[in-house]
Amino acid sequence: MAPPRLIFVTGKGGTGKSTVAAALALALSRQRPTTLADLDRRNSAARILGTAASGAIETLALTPRAELEAFIARIVPLRAISRRMLRSRTFGYVTAALPGLEAFLMLERLRLLAGTAARDDRYAVIDAPATGHALELLTVARGIRGLAPGGTLNRLAAAVEDFLADPNRFGAILTVAPGELALRETLAAAAALRDELRVGWIAAALNCVAAPLFSAGEIAALADYPGHARLAATRRRCGRDAAETRRALERAGLRVIELPMIFAAELDRAALETLGRRLAAEWAPQ
Amino acid sequence: MSGNKPPALALDDRRLLVCLGPGGVGKTTISAALALNAALGGRAVDVMTVDPAPRLLDALGLSAADSSLQPVELGAMGARRGGRLRALKLDPKRVFDRLIERHAPSAAARDAILADRIYGNLSNALAGVADYMAMEQLLEIHQAPGADLIVLDTPPAAAALDFLDAPRRMLELLGSRAVTLLDAAGGAMRGPFSMLDLAARAALGAFDRITGLRLLGDVRNFVRNFSGMYAGFAERAAAAEAILRDPRTLIVIVAAAERERVAQAVEFLAALDAIGLKAGAVAVNRMRPPPPAADAIAGARGIPPALRAKLRANLADFAALQRRERAALDALRAAIPKDLELLFADDLGHEPRSLADLAAIARSLRPA
Repeated sequence: MAPPRLIFVTGKGGTGKSTVAAALALALSRQRPTTLADLDRRNSAARILGTAASGAIETLALTPRAELEAFIARIVPLRAISRRMLRSRTFGYVTAALPGLEAFLMLERLRLLAGTAARDDRYAVIDAPATGHALELLTVARGIRGLAPGGTLNRLAAAVEDFLADPNRFGAILTVAPGELALRETLAAAAALRDELRVGWIAAALNCVAAPLFSAGEIAALADYPGHARLAATRRRCGRDAAETRRALERAGLRVIELPMIFAAELDRAALETLGRRLAAEWAPQ
Repeated sequence: MSGNKPPALALDDRRLLVCLGPGGVGKTTISAALALNAALGGRAVDVMTVDPAPRLLDALGLSAADSSLQPVELGAMGARRGGRLRALKLDPKRVFDRLIERHAPSAAARDAILADRIYGNLSNALAGVADYMAMEQLLEIHQAPGADLIVLDTPPAAAALDFLDAPRRMLELLGSRAVTLLDAAGGAMRGPFSMLDLAARAALGAFDRITGLRLLGDVRNFVRNFSGMYAGFAERAAAAEAILRDPRTLIVIVAAAERERVAQAVEFLAALDAIGLKAGAVAVNRMRPPPPAADAIAGARGIPPALRAKLRANLADFAALQRRERAALDALRAAIPKDLELLFADDLGHEPRSLADLAAIARSLRPA
């Protein structure tokens, strides 16, 4: 099976969203030219990729303002007038009173990006905002349909909703770290994606997975070496938390991609390659 | 229990502590821990949390459905005389509704706004509104009697300014000049307009029709209803700004020993600086204890060789992680002013699930 043309990577803050997006883009770029787009205003994924970026990866920063300007230019073809309109306070007021408009235009841009990717046989990976903001962004199409019962925006919003539900064009990866806090947020986000937005392709990327390495008995035998006992216990807890989180994700019916904890002094190219291979294995022929 | 005063971060003369920082570093935990610690030290503390984890809610005795200030049972924790803690969970929508109720010029205006589709959209589009409402909630607590220290957790944000700049953006949104322009866009002409303005207004009208939003009329009504409240909002925004700039306010940036989080923390500091605010400290959360010495097990009898090999491998793994953390901390040290207090807080190895856990985190806070 081929990956969706556009993969939207989100997750709780601190679970490795940008790292996963960078690694995924690196792996997909081995197969086809790939666009790595940042929605977080910080270009984190592009920075993590750093010198690992090659000619096959194009990086892109999307901002709501630029999307709004492009949209206005599309429907008001006279540049002097569209510029004037964008500058006018009244228009600023309309867009400010309707925060969903800029977000919606970002979504519309993602839909176009996936369309281009399908046409040119490419992939696009999106380093999206953290779960809360990402869900607000993805649900905005429905809100726009409610606000604009007819007209251009209504038509575009319907197209965006179809796009999100099409597993060939749109996929969502939720990054999650072992532990209850991230698990809870992931399960809620997955339910919202599946049930409210009808997203057809969802996977959880379980990050920082390590083997427990030690049994409880072995740790008990280390009473004379408290420092080592503590570190062994930490390792065991890491491993067990990861296994438990995996089971909970699977119980919720989620596809789980396990990513190993990178025990290295630097998250370098080799580390990104390792993570990327694990992610891409999801689509390897059986 | 004595010695609850943290060894670092003196809060004695402070009235407000604001925790800012990127998402996922434990801002809420640090906020709650510092609030608890101050309460145990004898202060009357109110803490406002944003989206706390269920276990933290339990630890504080809060319910997910309630967004009012609730007393936290300190019981066996042994607070000093006068020490008490109240906590609340921010509910931006309710704060916004209260704000409207307070400032609406009449009951009719209030009902009109609460029922307005634009208001519904505005108050549910949480991204910007949550920031503003956190600030508004701060004012509510600040003006209510009782607390001599307020601890404020902030919504997760990509940039510090999202939060600090919220009152100003809100005022801009409600700016009275927009009302005049909208009235003009709606029909009646006031003041001088150039041909280009006329064309832009025509384009705006076309935009409204083509997009199918049919918003202009609604926006105009909304702005008219809202304009009666402008003075009230402006006053609140000015008050919030004054509190942030008060010398008794301490801003703490919460970070983690990770390259990206450090870069974000440094960006937060620059953003504060740009608007003339200063952070009092950077607190690096979830610091792992240093790994034990390798030679302790080198010649140890009683440890089977297979176990010893695993211990060595484990040690090497965690030592590598520690080198990564140290590099991030070096970058942090190099990027922040020398006189800025740098603090570490310990990693408990699990998510905090009790007041004792929070107290332990606060006690672990120490100069780097």
